Amino acid sequence: MSLRAPSVLPGFGLTFGFTTFFLSAMVLLPLAAMVLAAGSMHWSDFVHVVFSARALGSYKLSFGASFLAASINVVFGFIIAWTLVRYEFPGRKLIDALIDMPFALPTAVSGIALTTVFAQSGWIGRYLEPLGIKVAYTWLGVTLALTLISMPFAVRAVQPALLEVQRDLEDAAETLGAGRFYVFRRIILPTVLPALLTGFTLSFARAVGEYGSVIFIAGNLPMKTEITPLLIVIHLEQFDYQGAAALGLVMLVMSFTVLFAINLLQAWGRRRHLLGANS
Amino acid sequence: MSITLDQVTKHYGGVPVVNDVSLDIGDGEFFVLLGPSGSGKSTLLRAIAGLTGVDHGRIALHGRDVTHVGARKRGVGLVFQNYALFRHMTVADNIEFALRVRHVRGKVRRQRRQELLRLVALEGMDQRLPAQLSGGQQQRVAVARALAHKPEVLLLDEPFGALDAKIREELRRTIREVQRELGITTVLVTHDQDEAFAMADRIGIMNLGRLLEVGAPHDLYSRPATRFVATFLGAANLLLARRTTDGIQVAGTTIAAGDRTPAVYEHEVVAVVRPEEVEIAPARAALASNYLAGGVVDEVVFTGALEKLRVRLDEAAQTPLLAHSGADGESVELLQVTRTQHEQRGFSVAPGQSVAVGVRRVHVLPTPLSSFTACAATPQLAQELSREPLLMELAARMKTRIGTRCEPKLGVADAEGEASADFVGTTVIASQTDCAHRAEWLLRRGARDLLVLPAGAAAPQRVLIHWMGEAARSATLAVSASVLRHVPAEAVYVGIFPGQGNGGRDAPGIRELLDARSEAQAAHGLEMRTELRFGEVAEELARRLAEAPAQMLIVGVTDLARFAERFRNLLDGGQWPVLIVHRDAP
Repeated sequence: MSLRAPSVLPGFGLTFGFTTFFLSAMVLLPLAAMVLAAGSMHWSDFVHVVFSARALGSYKLSFGASFLAASINVVFGFIIAWTLVRYEFPGRKLIDALIDMPFALPTAVSGIALTTVFAQSGWIGRYLEPLGIKVAYTWLGVTLALTLISMPFAVRAVQPALLEVQRDLEDAAETLGAGRFYVFRRIILPTVLPALLTGFTLSFARAVGEYGSVIFIAGNLPMKTEITPLLIVIHLEQFDYQGAAALGLVMLVMSFTVLFAINLLQAWGRRRHLLGANS
Repeated sequence: MSITLDQVTKHYGGVPVVNDVSLDIGDGEFFVLLGPSGSGKSTLLRAIAGLTGVDHGRIALHGRDVTHVGARKRGVGLVFQNYALFRHMTVADNIEFALRVRHVRGKVRRQRRQELLRLVALEGMDQRLPAQLSGGQQQRVAVARALAHKPEVLLLDEPFGALDAKIREELRRTIREVQRELGITTVLVTHDQDEAFAMADRIGIMNLGRLLEVGAPHDLYSRPATRFVATFLGAANLLLARRTTDGIQVAGTTIAAGDRTPAVYEHEVVAVVRPEEVEIAPARAALASNYLAGGVVDEVVFTGALEKLRVRLDEAAQTPLLAHSGADGESVELLQVTRTQHEQRGFSVAPGQSVAVGVRRVHVLPTPLSSFTACAATPQLAQELSREPLLMELAARMKTRIGTRCEPKLGVADAEGEASADFVGTTVIASQTDCAHRAEWLLRRGARDLLVLPAGAAAPQRVLIHWMGEAARSATLAVSASVLRHVPAEAVYVGIFPGQGNGGRDAPGIRELLDARSEAQAAHGLEMRTELRFGEVAEELARRLAEAPAQMLIVGVTDLARFAERFRNLLDGGQWPVLIVHRDAP
């Protein structure tokens, strides 16, 4: 951390100052305000809001569906990234660009689009209906919306890692007698695992925070298809700022815990990867 | 035989990357595939390993045909340039990988691992990760890993490419020792001739997808058969010379040829003079060897053990030195000379100094194509012809020159009279109307190899070969082999029988076809496919040429009777290059 290190940007003092200022103004201060708002509540009120049956139901849905969505995206994101990295086919560039569509679209638009397709009379929904599968206005719809919205994160996280898996490694394993599945399990998977975890984290974080696309397809039945961000909005609309802050705090803590756990997992994986451990 | 390749061919996007390669590698042999990048050597190695399929041909390992067997089941060990170690596994796990796949018991695995680590001198490194090892150590691990399952064949793909000189040397020795100890058949791919010389029992040299020459390092160096091998394997000066009954005549001096085959006729040849076979002295009288010419020292580079000189030969001597590519890719006509410390002490030189140049030993390449002469009725036309892209490309690839020659009577119908001078090398004329007459005119006056070149002809992707009359067979094959060494095209022998369709039972015809193929293979190292057609020769050839673009024809003739009449369709205004090889019947 030499202050004289040659660099394009001027001085460590200035850049570090700007970094802390930016982080404080955009991230830390608002979060602190929220914690303070929730902290000004009476303890029993806080418990009442946070542990109400409706709130508990919404946590379950929000985190459960997000977890599911992130898991789905890790699997399919890997397959999509694999296709894009390993195969040369007409339209590859186009598909590669389309991956980012959910980024660019206002989330409400995605929500409306999904609802149109998966509602009981929708293009796909009408065929699922006779099979007894209801997507719109159920937890399935919520998961679907979250999956769509967080998919690019998984793909973009895995893609560079896959690019780095040298073909030579697979060739080497093949000449040594390993079958495809063995190569995948013992060579490819361990190499891209850190990237997969990152993809999972990013997908999960995005899904937990998602609001716009979900409210259209969720139906928002309390206890059943109501996500926590929506519950927060409902509290706000009733001018219950403290209640909203309390729920926000719970989300903050839970999200932080999940991210922290995944980071620990990654750090452990990296240490194993680089510094070596007896196996 | 450990490895047998039979006409192995691999195309990428229509371009043959490996072109009709046939090769036998013996048990326990250390074989080096040497060639510049893009010559197809790595693709060939991958084909042997089973990682790349072949389009044509067969591959056998220890007599077992493995052409359609996957890499998994071939039982070969492969070592890559970039090591390709599994970075998330320890050295032990890397080495045991092949054994784990085969469900070998732990105790046996450990024992084998210890054995291999001792072999590559890495004892005690079991629990390291690849990232904790130096490049040389990593490559040792890769070698040990490739040997774990006791493969029948060890393949090394530029294994030293990423290492620095000292470690390279050390690892070379280790690999050679391991190879000798295990007696395992080994193929190493490299572009480094020092490496090839240091390690090989035999070297195979590849260029443009073809295996040009195979031989022991010393034989290839002292008696190369092709220009490419002569210049790729060590430095070489190429000179145009004349083979006479007395020996090799270069710039007015006659040097006894190493091989004393009496020349049947005087003709131009390409001679190789190695830089260390050149002698320089203050004056002609002081030379111990045959005097070549006077010259001026252009450059002196001291490289430690040797001194490298470039000498510009006097223009007055008209020395037929062929240009070679300099360090910056520019072609230069300077004689390369290397001298030992001992020679330097006897006579030290500086740039700008005049010296007498002598030659101790000359090797004549058996290639029949020496140089090109663009021939036309006027000097301007000849100049224009000499700048045809295909001709220039051919000459550049053959590292030879294009001369010009004016024959005023060439265009005149039924012109009598003699040619203006003897024909030297390959004569080139432009393809146009009444071209068949011109060709006949030249052939009757002594042109032996005649290239008829249409304007703007494309580089051929397929060369069709045919000869009329047995006297021209050997020469046609030799010329074809020489052309195909310099052009990445496939060779097809077109056999043509008179009559329609009963040729399937025409046993002598088929035998002739097969004989031609085996002669091409044995005597000229030329692999070619064969095709059968029925009808009148010139017509069938013209029809065959019209079937696909980018083709070239090499046709041997003995009898010139009615030549122009028979070949009118083929030559007059044709869109394809035709090389006519004329040899009189004895």
